[in-house]
Amino acid sequence: MVMLMGISAYSPAQAIEINVLMEHIDRLWRGDTSQVTMSMTVKTRRYQRSMKMEAWSRGKEHSLIIIREPIKDRGIATLKVEENIWNYLPKINRVTKVPASMMSGSWMGSHFTNDDLVKESTFIDDFDSVISFEGERDGVAIYEVTSTPKPDAAVVWGKVVMTIHQDNFAPLHAYYYDEEGIQVRVMRFDQIREVDGRAIPMRMTLIPEDKPGELTEVLYEEVAFGITLREDFFSLQNLKQRR
Amino acid sequence: MLLFIAWRNIWRNPVRSLLTIAALGGGVVMVILYAAFLEGMTRQMVQYATEISTGQMQLHRQSFVDDQDLYATLPWHYIERIERRLPEVVAAPRLYAAGLASAGDNSSGVMIKAIDPLRERRVTKMLDHLRSGEARFDAVSSNEGVERRYNVVIGTQMARNMHLNIGDELVLITQAADGSIGNALFRIGGVLRPVEPNFDRMGVLMSIEAYQQLMYLEEGFHELALWTQDLTALEQPQQPQQHVASLLTELHAEQPLDELGGAAMVRNWRQLTPAIADMLELSKAMVIIVGFIIVGLASLGMLNTMLMAVHERTHEFGILLSIGMSRWWLLLMVLFESLFLALISAVIGSIAGTFVARYFEQYGIDFSGSMPDGYDWGGIVFEPVMRGHFEPQHLLSSSLLMITIAMLASLIPSWRTVRMKPAEVLR
Repeated sequence: MVMLMGISAYSPAQAIEINVLMEHIDRLWRGDTSQVTMSMTVKTRRYQRSMKMEAWSRGKEHSLIIIREPIKDRGIATLKVEENIWNYLPKINRVTKVPASMMSGSWMGSHFTNDDLVKESTFIDDFDSVISFEGERDGVAIYEVTSTPKPDAAVVWGKVVMTIHQDNFAPLHAYYYDEEGIQVRVMRFDQIREVDGRAIPMRMTLIPEDKPGELTEVLYEEVAFGITLREDFFSLQNLKQRR
Repeated sequence: MLLFIAWRNIWRNPVRSLLTIAALGGGVVMVILYAAFLEGMTRQMVQYATEISTGQMQLHRQSFVDDQDLYATLPWHYIERIERRLPEVVAAPRLYAAGLASAGDNSSGVMIKAIDPLRERRVTKMLDHLRSGEARFDAVSSNEGVERRYNVVIGTQMARNMHLNIGDELVLITQAADGSIGNALFRIGGVLRPVEPNFDRMGVLMSIEAYQQLMYLEEGFHELALWTQDLTALEQPQQPQQHVASLLTELHAEQPLDELGGAAMVRNWRQLTPAIADMLELSKAMVIIVGFIIVGLASLGMLNTMLMAVHERTHEFGILLSIGMSRWWLLLMVLFESLFLALISAVIGSIAGTFVARYFEQYGIDFSGSMPDGYDWGGIVFEPVMRGHFEPQHLLSSSLLMITIAMLASLIPSWRTVRMKPAEVLR
């Protein structure tokens, strides 16, 4: 909380303020370790389907996601260790590694890509951010932060613009632009809940710009931070066993 | 009489004349050979483009053509309707999907292609192009479980990249039509020889039955390859294409297709593989251009010979002119000499050209030492043995080309005889 207080004090330097703000955003859903239960709804022109899953993460290097529902996909698990992704498929009892060429492919049929999962980019390390607007927009006091990737950062976006609530520092929208400066997707955040003293949006909706009417919605049902997870929790053995 | 004198004149200097004939005849042989090889290549190209995988015509939905829309299927009853309306047409349905293949530690993105093996064999020769194994798509029981595995056939490059052999296990993961994660185990039944670079690198061929179990997509097919028994349809595909197109309009009126997939459309092989249709046109122009160059060079020999012949006989021509011979008779005589040389060269060149072209038609030039898998040109993989294709028409056209150019070249020396002044040359 002390960290957050720092933000509301305006001067002396905006640079420090923006860094604190972006570090807060970077750590918002992650914590040191986390365990979440979530549901994901994918809506496309052709179908709509919902999945329930459980996910664990440790730092930004490790995460494990297991699908609980629907029955057809139950037990399918995704393990991420550093920049590698493996999928475990219980029906055929095989573990497959996702090759580099498939990283931009859809993850589990959603509008998220495998890259979205693997990406270790953080606003602090990979972007230069500035507050491009602050004040009221649509009756809400917000900061608008424009982040451009640092020259050597491995980031697919040309620019990310994020709006953040001024009162609780929860993100509201994130607009993603490609390298030509065209907006390619919007992430909407709502249903803010207080967890561990942080205001966390429990629902994220990803809206791809090139597919009208389609979206992927992720709803966090339970979130716990700071649980004990050892590194070997994120191993191929555990990938197979934890269904 | 003039013809006889001209004929005799040629053999006054037999060595020189024979050399000229050799040069011109050699030129004709080269042109024939070049035409034969180009013809051989284009024939193989058209054959590959149609017989092996494309067929003469194909049916698709618009959005499948645009962005491989998985849901842009055509209903199954279209096949029966088309075959009933056009009895000379046979049809083979195909389905496609993108997926991830994995075997051991190797994984790679793949293009899944599903076919009906029985129908496919009637339309294309794809399944005969096997490198190893068998073109089998049946399901076999594995020793470790009760679940059956379907056999698949993959491309050569993919087999090499993923270290796959006949009988090996292959995992395929894809997003099924209902959004779920389609995944299943398959067995490598065969490896296909390179036909199309894309398929060779990432193609997995399976039966439609196996595809439907993996993809949960049963409504229809993505592509229908058509073959008509009528071979003129290869050269002029427009007419059968129109029949199919009008039938499609009828079928759509009976039972409209859903909006999202777009309209059904039929395209012929020239439209499907525009690169090859362009190559065919280009190769015809190339024979003419290269022919001009070769024969043009050989004709310089002709020019030289006739200039020499005229120069040598300046004195003789002077006498002929002064005893009252017409200049135009002299010009005609020189032209006849050139014509005889050209005709002899044409006959000899054609005979030799036929033999050489026939030889290469039979044996070809074998590159399999350096390129065992053939070479890829314009999106088509060629066999490593380059074969010519001899057509009698080439003899006629290359001989005519040579005679025309040689006669044009001989206009210069004959023109000199016309301008000759008897008083001067006799001095």
